[in-house]
Amino acid sequence: MEKRIKEMLAGYVDGELSEDERMAFELELQRDPELRSELEEFKRLKEVTGMMHYADLPDEVWESYWQSLYRKTERGIGWILLSVGAIFLLCFGLWQALTQFYLDPDVSLFVKMGVSAAGAGLIVLLVSLIRERLFAYHRDRYKEVKK
Amino acid sequence: MTNETSFTGMEMDMDRALVMQIKAGNKKALGQLVERHKKQAFQIALGLVGNKDDAYDISQEAFLRVYRSAKTFDEKQPFLPWFYTIIANLCRSALRRRTTSKKRNVNVDDVSYMLVSDDDPEGALIKRETIARLRQGLRELPFADREIISLQHFREMSYDEIAALLGIPRGTVMSRLYYARKKLAAIMLEKEGQ
Repeated sequence: MEKRIKEMLAGYVDGELSEDERMAFELELQRDPELRSELEEFKRLKEVTGMMHYADLPDEVWESYWQSLYRKTERGIGWILLSVGAIFLLCFGLWQALTQFYLDPDVSLFVKMGVSAAGAGLIVLLVSLIRERLFAYHRDRYKEVKK
Repeated sequence: MTNETSFTGMEMDMDRALVMQIKAGNKKALGQLVERHKKQAFQIALGLVGNKDDAYDISQEAFLRVYRSAKTFDEKQPFLPWFYTIIANLCRSALRRRTTSKKRNVNVDDVSYMLVSDDDPEGALIKRETIARLRQGLRELPFADREIISLQHFREMSYDEIAALLGIPRGTVMSRLYYARKKLAAIMLEKEGQ
């Protein structure tokens, strides 16, 4: 079977062929049993997909769609400012800690190690908590819907 | 993409005008654009990723990208193909992430994304297996095939509209549909035998 005729099968099923194409295709259809079999296969497929439709979301979700999106546009700017500020403060804090605390010979090594361990533990817990919260937030589709 | 995907000149002009306003920093214009296209954006993403939660996230992210990338929009070009490319790229990324999630045994399947339109409950019951095979078949199709099937079968777009949306010739739409349907029918037949 000619490749072009085969591909026209899709257009025939969907009613997308021109008059000339349709006539040429139907002529071939009469001659070729394989093409007829493929046509039946495509018709069955169309019938099955014709029974289906995509699900929609509840009205409440659509009503709050724009609000949710608007907040996200604001959050983007907020996150940038927060991140820049946090980086500055972190750098300043680390510098202060290094010069005022860790390099101070009057503070014992034991205290320095204790403060370092507690600080590291706090950071690990904080990162873990934030990650968990973000994961839960992204999976809650109905966060904008009042319960 | 208001209620139906619209390629009329007036609709396209309106979309273009809204993106130009977004470019100028008008958030209200973004709101109008969202109202015009939110449902279709969701449905297109749903057809590509087959999961309502992911489709909702993708549709929102797509609008955020329009907002952030409005400066790169070429005002001589229509809005919809540009917007569709954003959605399709986000869907590809989501599907890649899903492969990783599946490796971590996270359930990402959502059988409720596609519903039966049949009003006859008895008929629906008989066809249930066929429909289950269709869902499986669509899931197993390569992205490009699922894309073309989704647009033609479920969005009921004409070949001209699909061609304009994907930026491909009309003849390519027809041949892509032919091969995608052949693959889908073969997968469904294989599932029938199992």
